[in-house]
Amino acid sequence: MSEEIDFDAILGKYHSDPYDYVDICATHTGRISFRIAEGDVVNSPRGEWLHILGSPLFEITRERNQKLVTAKTNGTISSVRTELEGQFVEAGEKLLTIRHPLKKKEVIESILKEVLYLFPAPERAKYFFSLDIQSRIEKKGASALIIKPGDEIIIMSLMKRDTPIYYSGEAGVIHSVYFSPGVSVDQGQPLIGVCASDKLHLIQKVITRVKADWDKLVDPAHLEEG
Amino acid sequence: MAAINCPTPASLSAYIRQQEINSRRRQALLPSPETILRYGAIVGSVIQCHASMARTMDQARHHISELEQTGGSVASGTVILADTLIRSKGRFARTWHAPAGGLWGCLILADTFLPRARTILPLTLGIACCEAVRALGADQACVRWVNDVLFGGQKLAGFLVESFRNPHHGEDFHLLGFGININNNCFPDILENSAISLSRILGGPVNLHDFTLSFLAKMAWNIGLLAYAEQQELERGSDCNEESHLLIEQWKKLSDTVGRRVVYGYDIQQKPLYEARVIGIRPDGALVMQLADGHEIIEHSGELQYL
Repeated sequence: MSEEIDFDAILGKYHSDPYDYVDICATHTGRISFRIAEGDVVNSPRGEWLHILGSPLFEITRERNQKLVTAKTNGTISSVRTELEGQFVEAGEKLLTIRHPLKKKEVIESILKEVLYLFPAPERAKYFFSLDIQSRIEKKGASALIIKPGDEIIIMSLMKRDTPIYYSGEAGVIHSVYFSPGVSVDQGQPLIGVCASDKLHLIQKVITRVKADWDKLVDPAHLEEG
Repeated sequence: MAAINCPTPASLSAYIRQQEINSRRRQALLPSPETILRYGAIVGSVIQCHASMARTMDQARHHISELEQTGGSVASGTVILADTLIRSKGRFARTWHAPAGGLWGCLILADTFLPRARTILPLTLGIACCEAVRALGADQACVRWVNDVLFGGQKLAGFLVESFRNPHHGEDFHLLGFGININNNCFPDILENSAISLSRILGGPVNLHDFTLSFLAKMAWNIGLLAYAEQQELERGSDCNEESHLLIEQWKKLSDTVGRRVVYGYDIQQKPLYEARVIGIRPDGALVMQLADGHEIIEHSGELQYL
Protein backbone atom coordinates (compact mmCIF):
# COMPACT_ATOMS: atom_id res chain seq x y z
CA MET A 1 0.00 0.00 0.00
CA SER A 2 1.38 3.40 -0.92
CA GLU A 3 2.06 5.94 1.84
CA GLU A 4 0.24 8.45 -0.34
CA ILE A 5 -3.49 7.96 -0.71
CA ASP A 6 -5.44 10.28 -2.95
CA PHE A 7 -8.51 10.56 -0.74
CA ASP A 8 -10.22 13.05 -3.05
CA ALA A 9 -9.91 10.67 -5.99
CA ILE A 10 -11.22 7.71 -4.01
CA LEU A 11 -14.13 9.62 -2.49
CA GLY A 12 -14.85 11.31 -5.81
CA LYS A 13 -15.21 7.92 -7.45
CA TYR A 14 -17.80 6.78 -4.93
CA HIS A 15 -19.50 10.20 -4.99
CA SER A 16 -19.98 10.14 -8.73
CA ASP A 17 -21.25 6.57 -8.72
CA PRO A 18 -22.21 5.44 -5.20
CA TYR A 19 -23.20 1.94 -6.28
CA ASP A 20 -21.75 -1.52 -6.35
CA TYR A 21 -22.43 -3.50 -9.51
CA VAL A 22 -22.94 -7.13 -8.59
CA ASP A 23 -22.70 -9.58 -11.48
CA ILE A 24 -24.80 -12.72 -11.06
CA CYS A 25 -23.46 -15.76 -12.87
CA ALA A 26 -24.75 -19.28 -13.50
CA THR A 27 -23.92 -21.44 -10.49
CA HIS A 28 -23.68 -24.49 -12.71
CA THR A 29 -24.59 -25.57 -16.21
CA GLY A 30 -28.28 -25.58 -17.02
CA ARG A 31 -31.21 -24.04 -18.84
CA ILE A 32 -32.13 -20.52 -17.76
CA SER A 33 -35.52 -18.97 -17.13
CA PHE A 34 -35.42 -15.38 -15.88
CA ARG A 35 -37.83 -14.16 -13.21
CA ILE A 36 -36.88 -10.47 -13.43
CA ALA A 37 -36.55 -7.71 -16.00
CA GLU A 38 -34.27 -4.71 -16.31
CA GLY A 39 -35.28 -1.98 -13.87
CA ASP A 40 -36.89 -4.32 -11.35
CA VAL A 41 -36.11 -3.70 -7.70
CA VAL A 42 -34.88 -6.79 -5.85
CA ASN A 43 -34.55 -7.47 -2.13
CA SER A 44 -31.82 -9.28 -0.22
CA PRO A 45 -32.54 -12.07 2.31
CA ARG A 46 -34.37 -10.96 5.46
CA GLY A 47 -35.31 -12.28 8.88
CA GLU A 48 -33.35 -12.79 12.08
CA TRP A 49 -31.39 -15.65 10.52
CA LEU A 50 -31.56 -14.25 7.00
CA HIS A 51 -33.75 -17.24 6.30
CA ILE A 52 -36.38 -15.39 4.23
CA LEU A 53 -35.06 -15.66 0.71
CA GLY A 54 -34.26 -12.65 -1.42
CA SER A 55 -36.19 -11.84 -4.61
CA PRO A 56 -36.25 -14.63 -7.23
CA LEU A 57 -33.79 -13.88 -10.06
CA PHE A 58 -33.88 -16.93 -12.32
CA GLU A 59 -34.44 -20.66 -12.45
CA ILE A 60 -31.71 -22.97 -13.65
CA THR A 61 -32.54 -26.54 -14.63
CA ARG A 62 -30.00 -29.33 -14.93
CA GLU A 63 -30.82 -33.00 -15.33
CA ARG A 64 -34.47 -32.32 -14.41
CA ASN A 65 -33.39 -30.61 -11.19
CA GLN A 66 -34.89 -27.14 -11.09
CA LYS A 67 -33.23 -24.61 -8.83
CA LEU A 68 -34.46 -21.13 -8.03
CA VAL A 69 -31.69 -18.60 -7.57
CA THR A 70 -32.54 -15.62 -5.39
CA ALA A 71 -30.93 -12.25 -4.77
CA LYS A 72 -28.26 -12.05 -2.07
CA THR A 73 -28.09 -8.26 -2.33
CA ASN A 74 -30.70 -5.56 -2.71
CA GLY A 75 -30.80 -3.07 -5.56
CA THR A 76 -32.07 -2.58 -9.07
CA ILE A 77 -31.55 -4.88 -12.02
CA SER A 78 -29.28 -2.85 -14.28
CA SER A 79 -28.85 -5.40 -17.04
CA VAL A 80 -30.22 -8.80 -18.02
CA ARG A 81 -28.90 -11.02 -20.80
CA THR A 82 -32.38 -11.71 -22.12
CA GLU A 83 -30.91 -13.47 -25.15
CA LEU A 84 -30.11 -16.37 -22.80
CA GLU A 85 -33.76 -16.92 -21.85
CA GLY A 86 -34.54 -20.62 -22.32
CA GLN A 87 -30.95 -21.31 -23.37
CA PHE A 88 -28.44 -23.77 -21.91
CA VAL A 89 -25.55 -21.93 -20.28
CA GLU A 90 -22.20 -23.00 -18.86
CA ALA A 91 -21.26 -22.57 -15.21
CA GLY A 92 -19.93 -19.07 -14.58
CA GLU A 93 -21.78 -17.43 -17.49
CA LYS A 94 -22.80 -13.89 -16.51
CA LEU A 95 -26.58 -13.58 -16.51
CA LEU A 96 -27.49 -10.24 -14.99
CA THR A 97 -26.21 -7.33 -12.91
CA ILE A 98 -27.70 -5.80 -9.77
CA ARG A 99 -26.95 -2.15 -9.04
CA HIS A 100 -26.65 -2.00 -5.29
CA PRO A 101 -26.76 1.42 -3.53
CA LEU A 102 -23.84 1.68 -1.10
CA LYS A 103 -24.19 2.76 2.51
CA LYS A 104 -21.45 4.74 4.21
CA LYS A 105 -20.29 1.65 6.09
CA GLU A 106 -20.17 -0.30 2.84
CA VAL A 107 -18.15 2.47 1.19
CA ILE A 108 -15.58 2.28 3.98
CA GLU A 109 -15.48 -1.50 3.67
CA SER A 110 -15.24 -1.25 -0.08
CA ILE A 111 -12.28 1.14 0.11
CA LEU A 112 -10.63 -0.99 2.76
CA LYS A 113 -11.05 -4.06 0.58
CA GLU A 114 -8.97 -2.26 -2.03
CA VAL A 115 -6.13 -1.60 0.38
CA LEU A 116 -6.18 -4.64 2.68
CA TYR A 117 -5.01 -8.14 1.82
CA LEU A 118 -8.22 -10.18 1.70
CA PHE A 119 -7.97 -13.81 2.78
CA PRO A 120 -10.75 -15.78 1.04
CA ALA A 121 -12.98 -18.63 2.25
CA PRO A 122 -11.85 -21.90 0.60
CA GLU A 123 -15.36 -23.44 0.67
CA ARG A 124 -18.90 -22.42 1.53
CA ALA A 125 -18.87 -23.23 5.25
CA LYS A 126 -18.93 -21.73 8.71
CA TYR A 127 -15.75 -20.28 10.15
CA PHE A 128 -14.38 -19.43 13.55
CA PHE A 129 -10.99 -18.35 14.85
CA SER A 130 -8.77 -21.11 16.18
CA LEU A 131 -8.84 -21.27 19.97
CA ASP A 132 -5.35 -19.83 20.29
CA ILE A 133 -6.05 -16.88 17.99
CA GLN A 134 -9.43 -16.26 19.62
CA SER A 135 -7.94 -16.08 23.09
CA ARG A 136 -5.16 -13.75 21.89
CA ILE A 137 -7.72 -11.49 20.20
CA GLU A 138 -9.80 -11.41 23.39
CA LYS A 139 -6.77 -10.53 25.50
CA LYS A 140 -5.03 -7.97 23.31
CA GLY A 141 -7.31 -7.16 20.37
CA ALA A 142 -6.85 -8.15 16.76
CA SER A 143 -4.64 -5.15 15.96
CA ALA A 144 -2.01 -6.38 18.43
CA LEU A 145 -1.87 -9.76 16.77
CA ILE A 146 0.56 -10.28 13.91
CA ILE A 147 -0.17 -13.22 11.63
CA LYS A 148 2.18 -14.64 9.05
CA PRO A 149 1.97 -17.25 6.26
CA GLY A 150 1.56 -20.76 7.61
CA ASP A 151 -0.17 -19.71 10.82
CA GLU A 152 -3.27 -21.73 11.71
CA ILE A 153 -5.73 -18.91 12.18
CA ILE A 154 -9.23 -20.07 11.35
CA ILE A 155 -11.22 -23.29 11.60
CA MET A 156 -13.59 -24.15 8.78
CA SER A 157 -16.56 -26.19 9.92
CA LEU A 158 -18.72 -28.16 7.51
CA MET A 159 -20.94 -31.06 8.59
CA LYS A 160 -19.02 -31.34 11.88
CA ARG A 161 -15.72 -31.67 10.04
CA ASP A 162 -13.34 -29.06 11.38
CA THR A 163 -10.50 -28.08 9.09
CA PRO A 164 -7.73 -25.74 10.17
CA ILE A 165 -7.12 -22.98 7.64
CA TYR A 166 -3.55 -21.82 7.30
CA TYR A 167 -2.94 -18.20 6.48
CA SER A 168 -1.24 -17.66 3.14
CA GLY A 169 -1.13 -13.91 2.61
CA GLU A 170 1.26 -11.17 3.56
CA ALA A 171 2.21 -10.84 7.24
CA GLY A 172 0.28 -8.24 9.19
CA VAL A 173 -2.49 -7.55 11.66
CA ILE A 174 -6.10 -8.60 11.29
CA HIS A 175 -7.84 -5.32 10.59
CA SER A 176 -11.26 -6.49 9.42
CA VAL A 177 -13.19 -9.66 10.17
CA TYR A 178 -15.86 -10.48 7.59
CA PHE A 179 -17.33 -13.62 9.17
CA SER A 180 -19.43 -14.32 12.24
CA PRO A 181 -19.36 -17.66 14.03
CA GLY A 182 -22.41 -19.62 12.96
CA VAL A 183 -23.03 -17.74 9.70
CA SER A 184 -22.11 -19.45 6.43
CA VAL A 185 -19.59 -17.76 4.17
CA ASP A 186 -19.62 -18.43 0.42
CA GLN A 187 -16.52 -19.78 -1.26
CA GLY A 188 -14.20 -16.97 -2.33
CA GLN A 189 -15.72 -14.35 -0.04
CA PRO A 190 -13.18 -12.64 2.25
CA LEU A 191 -12.81 -13.97 5.78
CA ILE A 192 -10.38 -11.37 7.08
CA GLY A 193 -8.65 -8.24 5.82
CA VAL A 194 -5.00 -8.03 6.80
CA CYS A 195 -2.79 -4.96 6.90
CA ALA A 196 0.96 -4.65 7.41
CA SER A 197 1.36 -3.27 10.93
CA ASP A 198 3.30 -0.20 9.77
CA LYS A 199 0.44 0.72 7.45
CA LEU A 200 -2.29 0.67 10.07
CA HIS A 201 -2.24 4.44 10.45
CA LEU A 202 -3.10 4.80 6.77
CA ILE A 203 -6.12 2.57 7.18
CA GLN A 204 -7.29 4.67 10.10
CA LYS A 205 -6.85 7.76 7.92
CA VAL A 206 -9.13 6.23 5.27
CA ILE A 207 -11.85 5.52 7.80
CA THR A 208 -11.63 8.95 9.44
CA ARG A 209 -11.62 10.75 6.11
CA VAL A 210 -14.58 8.86 4.71
CA LYS A 211 -16.58 9.36 7.87
CA ALA A 212 -15.81 13.08 7.86
CA ASP A 213 -16.33 13.78 4.17
CA TRP A 214 -18.95 11.33 3.04
CA ASP A 215 -21.99 13.14 4.34
CA LYS A 216 -20.77 16.39 2.82
CA LEU A 217 -20.15 14.77 -0.54
CA VAL A 218 -23.28 12.71 -0.95
CA ASP A 219 -26.85 13.82 -1.09
CA PRO A 220 -28.28 12.41 2.18
CA ALA A 221 -31.55 11.64 0.46
CA HIS A 222 -29.73 9.34 -1.91
CA LEU A 223 -28.09 7.04 0.55
CA GLU A 224 -29.20 5.13 3.54
CA GLU A 225 -27.02 5.72 6.59
CA GLY A 226 -24.66 2.80 7.21
CA MET B 1 1.89 -50.93 30.33
CA ALA B 2 0.40 -53.01 27.53
CA ALA B 3 -2.95 -52.13 26.03
CA ILE B 4 -5.90 -54.35 26.92
CA ASN B 5 -7.96 -53.78 23.77
CA CYS B 6 -5.66 -55.06 21.01
CA PRO B 7 -7.41 -55.88 17.73
CA THR B 8 -5.08 -56.53 14.81
CA PRO B 9 -5.47 -56.01 11.05
CA ALA B 10 -5.60 -59.79 10.70
CA SER B 11 -8.40 -60.18 13.26
CA LEU B 12 -10.33 -57.34 11.58
CA SER B 13 -9.89 -58.98 8.21
CA ALA B 14 -11.14 -62.30 9.56
CA TYR B 15 -14.13 -60.59 11.20
CA ILE B 16 -15.02 -58.91 7.91
CA ARG B 17 -14.80 -62.22 6.03
CA GLN B 18 -16.72 -64.25 8.61
CA GLN B 19 -19.29 -61.75 9.91
CA GLU B 20 -19.59 -58.49 8.01
CA ILE B 21 -19.89 -59.88 4.50
CA ASN B 22 -22.67 -62.25 5.56
CA SER B 23 -24.63 -59.61 7.42
CA ARG B 24 -24.35 -57.23 4.47
CA ARG B 25 -25.43 -59.95 2.04
CA ARG B 26 -28.73 -60.06 3.86
CA GLN B 27 -29.21 -56.35 3.16
CA ALA B 28 -29.47 -57.11 -0.56
CA LEU B 29 -27.83 -53.97 -1.82
CA LEU B 30 -27.07 -53.66 -5.52
CA PRO B 31 -23.32 -54.28 -5.51
CA SER B 32 -21.98 -57.34 -3.77
CA PRO B 33 -20.71 -56.83 -0.19
CA GLU B 34 -17.26 -57.89 -1.35
CA THR B 35 -17.24 -55.05 -3.86
CA ILE B 36 -18.13 -52.41 -1.29
CA LEU B 37 -15.75 -53.78 1.32
CA ARG B 38 -12.94 -53.85 -1.20
CA TYR B 39 -13.33 -50.08 -1.53
CA GLY B 40 -13.16 -49.71 2.26
CA ALA B 41 -10.40 -52.27 2.81
CA ILE B 42 -7.88 -49.63 3.88
CA VAL B 43 -9.71 -49.15 7.20
CA GLY B 44 -7.65 -50.87 9.89
CA SER B 45 -4.77 -51.73 7.56
CA VAL B 46 -2.58 -50.65 10.51
CA ILE B 47 -3.88 -50.70 14.09
CA GLN B 48 -1.89 -49.13 16.91
CA CYS B 49 -3.02 -50.05 20.43
CA HIS B 50 -1.98 -48.03 23.48
CA ALA B 51 -2.80 -48.35 27.15
CA SER B 52 -3.05 -44.61 27.69
CA MET B 53 -2.31 -41.34 25.93
CA ALA B 54 -3.34 -37.71 25.97
CA ARG B 55 -5.39 -37.59 22.77
CA THR B 56 -5.48 -39.98 19.84
CA MET B 57 -5.98 -37.06 17.39
CA ASP B 58 -2.72 -35.50 18.61
CA GLN B 59 -1.01 -38.88 18.33
CA ALA B 60 -2.29 -39.16 14.76
CA ARG B 61 -0.83 -35.76 13.81
CA HIS B 62 2.45 -36.66 15.47
CA HIS B 63 2.53 -40.03 13.73
CA ILE B 64 1.90 -38.53 10.27
CA SER B 65 4.54 -35.83 10.77
CA GLU B 66 7.11 -38.20 12.25
CA LEU B 67 6.78 -40.68 9.40
CA GLU B 68 7.04 -38.02 6.73
CA GLN B 69 10.05 -36.43 8.41
CA THR B 70 11.88 -39.72 8.04
CA GLY B 71 10.90 -40.07 4.40
CA GLY B 72 8.01 -42.45 5.06
CA SER B 73 4.29 -42.09 4.59
CA VAL B 74 1.44 -42.99 6.87
CA ALA B 75 -0.85 -45.80 5.74
CA SER B 76 -4.28 -44.41 4.98
CA GLY B 77 -6.73 -46.31 7.18
CA THR B 78 -4.40 -46.45 10.17
CA VAL B 79 -6.35 -46.76 13.43
CA ILE B 80 -4.99 -45.53 16.75
CA LEU B 81 -6.68 -46.91 19.86
CA ALA B 82 -6.14 -46.15 23.53
CA ASP B 83 -7.68 -47.83 26.57
CA THR B 84 -7.87 -44.47 28.34
CA LEU B 85 -7.37 -40.87 27.30
CA ILE B 86 -5.97 -38.30 29.70
CA ARG B 87 -6.77 -35.04 27.91
CA SER B 88 -9.52 -36.03 25.53
CA LYS B 89 -11.73 -33.27 24.22
CA GLY B 90 -14.80 -32.76 22.15
CA ARG B 91 -15.53 -29.90 19.79
CA PHE B 92 -14.54 -26.37 20.75
CA ALA B 93 -12.99 -26.55 24.23
CA ARG B 94 -15.28 -29.26 25.62
CA THR B 95 -13.77 -32.05 27.67
CA TRP B 96 -14.57 -35.68 26.91
CA HIS B 97 -14.59 -38.26 29.68
CA ALA B 98 -12.57 -41.28 28.43
CA PRO B 99 -11.81 -43.79 31.19
CA ALA B 100 -11.05 -47.50 30.79
CA GLY B 101 -13.85 -49.57 29.29
CA GLY B 102 -14.77 -47.30 26.40
CA LEU B 103 -13.70 -47.35 22.77
CA TRP B 104 -11.50 -44.32 22.16
CA GLY B 105 -9.57 -43.82 18.98
CA CYS B 106 -8.85 -42.15 15.70
CA LEU B 107 -8.92 -43.30 12.09
CA ILE B 108 -6.51 -41.62 9.68
CA LEU B 109 -7.67 -41.27 6.08
CA ALA B 110 -5.69 -39.58 3.33
CA ASP B 111 -7.86 -36.95 1.68
CA THR B 112 -8.54 -38.63 -1.64
CA PHE B 113 -12.22 -37.69 -1.69
CA LEU B 114 -14.04 -35.33 -4.02
CA PRO B 115 -15.93 -32.43 -2.38
CA ARG B 116 -19.30 -34.18 -2.03
CA ALA B 117 -17.85 -37.30 -0.40
CA ARG B 118 -15.65 -35.13 1.83
CA THR B 119 -18.70 -33.22 3.00
CA ILE B 120 -20.64 -36.29 4.10
CA LEU B 121 -17.61 -38.22 5.40
CA PRO B 122 -18.50 -37.41 9.06
CA LEU B 123 -21.79 -39.30 8.63
CA THR B 124 -19.91 -42.60 8.27
CA LEU B 125 -18.97 -42.58 11.97
CA GLY B 126 -22.49 -42.23 13.31
CA ILE B 127 -23.85 -44.79 10.87
CA ALA B 128 -21.13 -47.37 11.64
CA CYS B 129 -21.51 -46.92 15.39
CA CYS B 130 -25.31 -47.11 15.29
CA GLU B 131 -25.15 -50.25 13.14
CA ALA B 132 -22.67 -51.90 15.55
CA VAL B 133 -24.75 -50.99 18.59
CA ARG B 134 -28.00 -52.19 17.03
CA ALA B 135 -26.31 -55.44 16.00
CA LEU B 136 -25.90 -56.19 19.72
CA GLY B 137 -29.58 -55.65 20.39
CA ALA B 138 -29.79 -51.94 21.27
CA ASP B 139 -32.40 -51.43 18.57
CA GLN B 140 -33.53 -48.05 19.82
CA ALA B 141 -30.14 -46.42 19.28
CA CYS B 142 -30.46 -43.60 16.77
CA VAL B 143 -28.26 -41.08 15.03
CA ARG B 144 -28.84 -37.42 15.76
CA TRP B 145 -27.63 -35.06 13.01
CA VAL B 146 -24.75 -34.89 12.26
CA ASN B 147 -23.39 -38.06 13.83
CA ASP B 148 -24.10 -38.31 17.56
CA VAL B 149 -25.45 -41.69 18.61
CA LEU B 150 -28.15 -41.52 21.30
CA PHE B 151 -30.13 -44.09 23.20
CA GLY B 152 -33.27 -42.88 24.96
CA GLY B 153 -32.08 -39.31 24.60
CA GLN B 154 -28.74 -40.03 26.26
CA LYS B 155 -25.46 -39.81 24.42
CA LEU B 156 -23.80 -43.11 23.72
CA ALA B 157 -21.14 -41.91 21.31
CA GLY B 158 -19.63 -38.73 19.96
CA PHE B 159 -17.37 -38.12 16.99
CA LEU B 160 -15.03 -35.45 15.86
CA VAL B 161 -13.55 -35.06 12.39
CA GLU B 162 -10.57 -32.80 11.94
CA SER B 163 -8.49 -32.24 8.84
CA PHE B 164 -4.73 -32.06 9.04
CA ARG B 165 -2.21 -30.84 6.50
CA ASN B 166 1.22 -32.31 6.89
CA PRO B 167 3.68 -29.42 7.16
CA HIS B 168 6.40 -31.26 5.25
CA HIS B 169 4.66 -32.27 2.04
CA GLY B 170 1.34 -30.46 2.35
CA GLU B 171 -0.67 -33.69 2.07
CA ASP B 172 -4.13 -33.50 3.61
CA PHE B 173 -5.55 -36.11 5.97
CA HIS B 174 -8.87 -36.57 7.74
CA LEU B 175 -8.66 -37.61 11.37
CA LEU B 176 -11.89 -39.32 12.39
CA GLY B 177 -12.01 -39.33 16.17
CA PHE B 178 -14.41 -41.68 17.94
CA GLY B 179 -15.52 -42.00 21.53
CA ILE B 180 -18.04 -44.75 22.33
CA ASN B 181 -19.18 -45.53 25.86
CA ILE B 182 -19.03 -49.32 26.10
CA ASN B 183 -18.25 -50.67 29.59
CA ASN B 184 -17.46 -47.34 31.25
CA ASN B 185 -20.50 -47.02 33.49
CA CYS B 186 -19.42 -44.22 35.79
CA PHE B 187 -19.83 -40.72 34.46
CA PRO B 188 -19.00 -37.39 36.10
CA ASP B 189 -22.04 -35.84 37.82
CA ILE B 190 -22.44 -33.31 35.04
CA LEU B 191 -22.86 -36.13 32.48
CA GLU B 192 -24.81 -38.61 34.59
CA ASN B 193 -28.17 -37.76 33.05
CA SER B 194 -27.00 -37.06 29.53
CA ALA B 195 -24.57 -39.94 28.87
CA ILE B 196 -25.07 -43.69 28.75
CA SER B 197 -22.92 -46.74 28.08
CA LEU B 198 -23.70 -49.77 25.96
CA SER B 199 -23.29 -52.12 28.93
CA ARG B 200 -25.93 -50.15 30.85
CA ILE B 201 -28.28 -50.47 27.90
CA LEU B 202 -27.69 -54.19 27.50
CA GLY B 203 -27.58 -54.89 31.23
CA GLY B 204 -24.14 -56.52 31.26
CA PRO B 205 -20.56 -56.15 30.09
CA VAL B 206 -19.80 -56.01 26.40
CA ASN B 207 -16.81 -57.69 24.76
CA LEU B 208 -14.82 -54.56 23.87
CA HIS B 209 -12.52 -56.39 21.48
CA ASP B 210 -15.42 -57.81 19.48
CA PHE B 211 -17.25 -54.49 19.47
CA THR B 212 -14.11 -52.76 18.18
CA LEU B 213 -13.89 -55.23 15.30
CA SER B 214 -17.58 -54.77 14.53
CA PHE B 215 -17.31 -50.96 14.56
CA LEU B 216 -14.19 -50.94 12.37
CA ALA B 217 -15.74 -53.46 9.96
CA LYS B 218 -18.77 -51.19 9.64
CA MET B 219 -16.49 -48.21 9.12
CA ALA B 220 -14.81 -50.17 6.32
CA TRP B 221 -18.26 -50.78 4.83
CA ASN B 222 -19.40 -47.17 5.04
CA ILE B 223 -16.10 -45.71 3.80
CA GLY B 224 -16.35 -48.28 1.02
CA LEU B 225 -19.89 -47.12 0.26
CA LEU B 226 -18.65 -43.54 0.04
CA ALA B 227 -15.82 -44.47 -2.34
CA TYR B 228 -18.08 -46.75 -4.41
CA ALA B 229 -20.71 -44.03 -4.80
CA GLU B 230 -18.01 -41.58 -5.77
CA GLN B 231 -16.77 -43.89 -8.49
CA GLN B 232 -20.32 -44.40 -9.77
CA GLU B 233 -20.78 -40.63 -9.99
CA LEU B 234 -17.49 -40.26 -11.85
CA GLU B 235 -18.45 -43.00 -14.31
CA ARG B 236 -21.78 -41.29 -14.93
CA GLY B 237 -19.95 -37.99 -15.36
CA SER B 238 -22.18 -36.43 -12.73
CA ASP B 239 -21.29 -34.80 -9.46
CA CYS B 240 -24.78 -33.46 -8.94
CA ASN B 241 -25.45 -32.76 -5.28
CA GLU B 242 -29.19 -32.98 -5.89
CA GLU B 243 -29.09 -36.73 -6.47
CA SER B 244 -29.70 -39.17 -3.66
CA HIS B 245 -26.61 -40.75 -2.09
CA LEU B 246 -26.30 -44.32 -0.76
CA LEU B 247 -24.79 -43.08 2.50
CA ILE B 248 -27.52 -40.49 3.07
CA GLU B 249 -30.17 -43.15 2.48
CA GLN B 250 -28.54 -45.39 5.09
CA TRP B 251 -28.26 -42.46 7.50
CA LYS B 252 -31.99 -41.77 7.13
CA LYS B 253 -32.78 -45.36 8.16
CA LEU B 254 -30.84 -44.97 11.39
CA SER B 255 -31.71 -41.43 12.39
CA ASP B 256 -34.66 -40.06 14.33
CA THR B 257 -33.82 -36.42 13.60
CA VAL B 258 -36.35 -35.75 10.84
CA GLY B 259 -39.67 -34.74 12.35
CA ARG B 260 -38.20 -33.66 15.69
CA ARG B 261 -38.52 -30.24 17.30
CA VAL B 262 -35.01 -29.04 18.00
CA VAL B 263 -32.86 -26.22 19.25
CA TYR B 264 -30.18 -25.37 16.73
CA GLY B 265 -26.90 -23.68 17.46
CA TYR B 266 -23.45 -23.49 16.03
CA ASP B 267 -22.13 -24.20 19.52
CA ILE B 268 -25.30 -25.48 21.15
CA GLN B 269 -23.90 -25.44 24.69
CA GLN B 270 -22.58 -21.89 24.58
CA LYS B 271 -24.98 -20.25 22.19
CA PRO B 272 -28.26 -21.94 21.22
CA LEU B 273 -29.73 -19.92 18.37
CA TYR B 274 -33.27 -20.90 17.50
CA GLU B 275 -36.00 -23.52 17.75
CA ALA B 276 -37.33 -25.27 14.67
CA ARG B 277 -38.79 -28.49 13.37
CA VAL B 278 -36.58 -30.69 11.21
CA ILE B 279 -38.41 -31.43 7.98
CA GLY B 280 -35.74 -33.15 5.92
CA ILE B 281 -32.19 -33.98 4.99
CA ARG B 282 -30.83 -32.86 1.66
CA PRO B 283 -28.80 -35.19 -0.54
CA ASP B 284 -25.67 -33.30 0.53
CA GLY B 285 -26.42 -34.03 4.20
CA ALA B 286 -27.67 -30.53 5.01
CA LEU B 287 -30.47 -30.20 7.54
CA VAL B 288 -33.74 -28.62 6.41
CA MET B 289 -35.74 -27.03 9.22
CA GLN B 290 -38.93 -25.05 9.48
CA LEU B 291 -39.07 -22.05 11.80
CA ALA B 292 -42.14 -20.98 13.74
CA ASP B 293 -42.93 -18.36 11.06
CA GLY B 294 -43.18 -21.14 8.46
CA HIS B 295 -39.98 -20.28 6.60
CA GLU B 296 -37.44 -22.95 5.84
CA ILE B 297 -33.82 -22.74 6.84
CA ILE B 298 -30.98 -24.99 5.68
CA GLU B 299 -27.89 -25.65 7.78
CA HIS B 300 -24.73 -27.45 6.68
CA SER B 301 -23.02 -27.21 10.02
CA GLY B 302 -23.89 -26.89 13.67
CA GLU B 303 -25.47 -28.91 16.46
CA LEU B 304 -28.91 -29.91 17.67
CA GLN B 305 -30.66 -30.60 20.91
CA TYR B 306 -33.98 -32.40 20.79
CA LEU B 307 -36.95 -30.74 22.52
